[in-house]
Amino acid sequence: MSPRIITAAVLSSALAFVNIAQAEDDVLRVGMSGSYFPFTFVEQDTLKGFEVDVMRALGEEMGVEIEFETANFSGLFGMLESGRIDTIANQITITEEREAKYLFTEPYVYDGAQVVVREGNEEIEGVEDLKGKRVAVNLGSNYEQLLRELPYADDIDIRTYDSNIEQDTALGRVDAFVMDRVSASQVIKEKPLPLQLAGEPFSSIRNALPFRDTEADRALRDRVDEALATLRDDGTLASISERWFGTDITRP
Amino acid sequence: MRVLDLDYMLGLIPILLRYLPLTLQMAAAGMAFALVLSCGLAVIRVLKIPGLNAATMLFISFFRGTPLLVQLFLFYYGLPQLLAFLTHINGITATIMGLTLHFSAYMAESIRAAIVGVDRSQTEAALSIGMTNGQLMRRIVLPQATRVAVPTLMNYFIDMIKATSLAFTLGVTELMGATQKEAAGSFLYFEAFITVAVMYWIIVELLAWFQRWLETRLNRAYRR
Repeated sequence: MSPRIITAAVLSSALAFVNIAQAEDDVLRVGMSGSYFPFTFVEQDTLKGFEVDVMRALGEEMGVEIEFETANFSGLFGMLESGRIDTIANQITITEEREAKYLFTEPYVYDGAQVVVREGNEEIEGVEDLKGKRVAVNLGSNYEQLLRELPYADDIDIRTYDSNIEQDTALGRVDAFVMDRVSASQVIKEKPLPLQLAGEPFSSIRNALPFRDTEADRALRDRVDEALATLRDDGTLASISERWFGTDITRP
Repeated sequence: MRVLDLDYMLGLIPILLRYLPLTLQMAAAGMAFALVLSCGLAVIRVLKIPGLNAATMLFISFFRGTPLLVQLFLFYYGLPQLLAFLTHINGITATIMGLTLHFSAYMAESIRAAIVGVDRSQTEAALSIGMTNGQLMRRIVLPQATRVAVPTLMNYFIDMIKATSLAFTLGVTELMGATQKEAAGSFLYFEAFITVAVMYWIIVELLAWFQRWLETRLNRAYRR
């Protein structure tokens, strides 16, 4: 091959990427991290999890195609904000700050915040024992906010991570991590990490799908809400939850 | 210590290989654009073209002076808030843009050094037989500068291949992104990340062979 042909090939393959992402009526673009077991994760190159099943059922109900986009959790709100996705299905908890900025559907998961420690660590038996400890949370998650609101927040060494907080707790680099109770129990049950729950959940959380606060997105949110209500009433949500968790987390 | 899950690692290789083309394409496109841009910048700097020279220095200063990750976030998440049409740029394009701008700043300086490093007597000889400035650059200076610049440019290409691993922060599932997601599903971190590390390593080793071959070829004229 002559250098000119190689150059042409490289340039044209580069230009092929410059395809324009368009928001179409019959496509719902859904962002998720793909690394939050068992809500959204990848096995053998296949995206799986509770969120994936819920969104697929939602797409079927609404008669739209669901397009999944995966990115690091900390990038998801940026993608929503810049219009690259329509919503985030990643157990997004409704908080005051987020409600001021985004439109939420009705909650489809009711859960609690849970402290998790390394197996055999009996020193920490709940959120009140986190004083003076190193505690991992996911960057940009509401758990960081929850910890900062504790009266003794200044005494907690809060460390924010982009991923792998379970692993760093198992390795002993931090004393505990805080996550939702449901997926924490699931990780402990199914995965080979030496972890245990520390005490009871300390705060109840409601998770829903966020949308941008525009007129078009409000209409879309309303359509999604309608479909969610149908799925809740006909038992689809409950059965997806039973399949992943052995219990119904979609009702308070 | 637990035993390595070799079956898992072997099973991971064909999955990860599917994402290798995207990694290489982003690096190749970034390198192609960066070569063009950096040559232009280097020539501006060598000829000290008024106005453009100052702009080029500012460009190089910014893109060399800020982390690639910051630049990628700026293009992908930041700018669309100011200019709505930039939303149409997808993660792959933004990565290629970021790699191009970031690495061309570095490459421009090493190309400039290579051009300046060509002995002055070469220029004088070319001008004495009546070559124009363009002919001088094309026929005498650039071919000699290429030989000097190739090793460092290959170095930047190797660095660029590895830098594509930042693309997952922009939602692009390339080699590293695929690994991160698989690791999060299996919690077998060591197995997943050592597998991908060896894959990057092999690619870079192959390139290093190519570099040695290329250098030998470019040195042919100088062999005694």
